[in-house]
Amino acid sequence: MLSVAAQTPPRGKLAASITRLFGQGARVDSLHVDSTTVLRVSRRDSLLGFAEVGNVIGKDQPITFLVAIGPDDRLKDVDILVYREPRGGEVAYEAWRKQFRGKTAADSVRVGRGIRSISGATISVHAVTAGVRRMLADLTTWHRSGAIR
Amino acid sequence: MAHPRACGPGALSIFLAFTVAPALVAQERTTVGGYGEIHYTNPTGPSSPAEVNLARFVIYLAHSFSDKLAFQSELEVEDAKIESGVAGGEVGVEQAYLDYHLADWLTLRTGLVLAPIGIINETHEPPTFNGVERPAFENDVIPTTWREIGVGAVGTIPGGAGLSYRVYLLNGLKAEGFSSDEGIREGRQEGQHASFANPSLTGRLEWARPGLKIGGSFWYGGTANADSALGTGSFAAPITLLSADARYEVAGASFRAVVATISVSDAAAINARFGADVGSRIAGGYVEAAYNVLTRLAPKSSQQLNAFVRLERYDTHAAVPAGTTKNLLFARRITTVGLSYKPTFNTVFKGDYQLLRNGSGAGEGEVLSLGVGYQF
Repeated sequence: MLSVAAQTPPRGKLAASITRLFGQGARVDSLHVDSTTVLRVSRRDSLLGFAEVGNVIGKDQPITFLVAIGPDDRLKDVDILVYREPRGGEVAYEAWRKQFRGKTAADSVRVGRGIRSISGATISVHAVTAGVRRMLADLTTWHRSGAIR
Repeated sequence: MAHPRACGPGALSIFLAFTVAPALVAQERTTVGGYGEIHYTNPTGPSSPAEVNLARFVIYLAHSFSDKLAFQSELEVEDAKIESGVAGGEVGVEQAYLDYHLADWLTLRTGLVLAPIGIINETHEPPTFNGVERPAFENDVIPTTWREIGVGAVGTIPGGAGLSYRVYLLNGLKAEGFSSDEGIREGRQEGQHASFANPSLTGRLEWARPGLKIGGSFWYGGTANADSALGTGSFAAPITLLSADARYEVAGASFRAVVATISVSDAAAINARFGADVGSRIAGGYVEAAYNVLTRLAPKSSQQLNAFVRLERYDTHAAVPAGTTKNLLFARRITTVGLSYKPTFNTVFKGDYQLLRNGSGAGEGEVLSLGVGYQF
């Protein structure tokens, strides 16, 4: 995933995603860890969680998505910000993404074990699942080690 | 970089001005992919030796111009080569279109596109289906690979229910190519100097959630090609195709089913005009069940060894017009059992045994096939 040229998602989509996940009036700070940007979301003095924009290659093109975790390191949601290919867009469906909610880095986040696929979207399902698994692990490690707080 | 919270009643209270390193604007990029399959076929009976064939070698060439505009194409070589004076082989561009993404619910698509009917026509890479050959039903009834030129719209229906659609206006089929054994198959024009005398409407509605995908498709259009014996109107000698399909996966088992019915309203006139014996109704379907035995034998593995059985039953003479005799040879029943071994989800080794039966009992036989396929 780190070898994929990072795609900047349209600002409107990213803002809308953060609002949907964390509510209106949240404060967003950018933290930099290991050459990655992590968004720290808070309201007044309490931490609401962290979010990170990731890119994985689907069949040919990058899929740009957001992973958000709560202060308890549980996955809040996965949002597909930009899907660029004619096939496999089912990864944006609510019914598929909601499988990730509540997962922790200790849970199985793998296709066939914890995450079901959707027919005809095997490639994008595998790519996004692998990306989410890596980002959830990174965010959890950074939070526990204090690199992000 | 931290930024202050922006306040204001009713205003979007998030102000984001950060960099996602390394920040790059979406770039133009060209990508190449492909798929292919090689077959070993051994029919029963004397004087029918086994044969091996490079059935398909396909290149996907695509280019993204921006996040909104992309070109997609598929170029296929069948049977390895074309040599003048030697039968066999075919080279064809099967897809070539420009997508213009206006919204998640609306992408305009223009060019040579796949008819959105059934399962195999739109999804035919070898690792995506069981059996060495594509189901005969999706050759003789739904004429895969069915591709024509036109314009259309594609998208996800808003509301988060998992619904998507594709609808196109494409050039029509030519009745002159219809036949008793392969139905509408040779009526396809495939993007080559295609007559637009009979613009045809085709579309699909699809619903999906993890483990289940259900679709319904249709095609409606004339086929007369301005032939005065059949009618010169755009919708003269129309055909109506209706189809439904489903795919279901649960705990290592997977099921699929497709049904379709085609009504050739002016089959009598078509047969009189071209000396053919086309059916007035072409219909049938298949069901397939598969089980990944590695779910039991090697539960931690991401490889698959799918044991499957498929039952196909279809009739290109389901109904015949006045003046044509129904031929039971075309009432086909095909049973296929086999194995598909997938070391990765993009590669497959296949084997199957087929029993080919029909209503007349003539020309029946069995076939053993092996194959290897890949996609990337």
